[in-house]
Amino acid sequence: MDQIYIPKNRQGLEPGTYVKIIPIEEKTIERSYFYNIKELEPIKLEIVNKIFSIIKNLTKYNNIIIAGSLLDKGFNFKDIDVLLINEEKINEKNVEKILESRLKIPIHLIHMTQKELKKALMIDPIWRIMLNKSISYKRIPPLPKTNLNYKYLDAQMIKSNLLIENSECLTGNEKYKLTRNLIAIYLFVKQKHLSKENIEREIEEKLNIESEELKNNIIDEKFIKKYKKFYKKFEKEIIKNAAKQEKAN
Amino acid sequence: MPQNRKKLIDLFIGHISEAVSHEILIRSTENKEIASHYKKELENLLDRSKKYREKINPKNSSLPEKDIDYIKTKIIIKVKTELKKRISLGYKNIDLGLIEILVDKFLKEAKIS
Repeated sequence: MDQIYIPKNRQGLEPGTYVKIIPIEEKTIERSYFYNIKELEPIKLEIVNKIFSIIKNLTKYNNIIIAGSLLDKGFNFKDIDVLLINEEKINEKNVEKILESRLKIPIHLIHMTQKELKKALMIDPIWRIMLNKSISYKRIPPLPKTNLNYKYLDAQMIKSNLLIENSECLTGNEKYKLTRNLIAIYLFVKQKHLSKENIEREIEEKLNIESEELKNNIIDEKFIKKYKKFYKKFEKEIIKNAAKQEKAN
Repeated sequence: MPQNRKKLIDLFIGHISEAVSHEILIRSTENKEIASHYKKELENLLDRSKKYREKINPKNSSLPEKDIDYIKTKIIIKVKTELKKRISLGYKNIDLGLIEILVDKFLKEAKIS
């Protein structure tokens, strides 16, 4: 008996499907790169391939990367994050509009040059999280070393202050996102690996709450107190280091 | 002002204040271009503030002058306090002159002024 291997993440060919095996003419097979995606619903893969194909026919590109909640299990995504790496100027809004009109799904298109992406990965945890779980048209080079710019991180962290003052009015998802932002910056500063799993583990460890509870808005006063204490202490550290960096420059 | 309305105004103030502080801090760094690529969270912050604004009173009718002054003053004080704390510790290039400009811009977007 011989065996035939097919990619685990594929369109069609569900287990149990009858197939006919016939030789094809030799041609280059284009295969996307999957990063930390164990499985993906076939319909989503179809959407991803469609995005690649539309962009390829529309503009020049160095790479196309799909990230965000589309790649999470289920169908709770509001839009699709598409990162288009290209050295030339493009009409971002126009590409976004074309993708949306063909797919009928909201698209959040971000255009960057390779140099900009490298810098973003060095200074901003959000980009590291994005690329940690993604599908790309071409291979993504290894992540660059981090460069801690504390004032920049302070600016990104200040948004998470909202949870302290307005906890009773925010939805569970809003609370989760603000907490995720704070913890992602914390892990980035502590030079720890950034992934959704690591962030959620750290949320549980530092704030004694499971992410699902947070998303479902099952929180109490104890959590807010813990969050505030953690935020204020970490904010102090960030501001102190930012001021030190400013003086050194 | 009724308690619920006051809460909504406070929420609105909180959201705009964080957005203004964030924007001024980002502009004081050399990395504002990088931040400009990912505006989704800032946009969410502003979208939420617009929702609160619509709950305060219908968006097509303007707020009483007294409320507009209260909101604007509160935001300016809040942002100034945050930024001055940082300046006193050694932050450079923080343009406090931007506070009023950005507050006006965001309030206009939210159809407050």
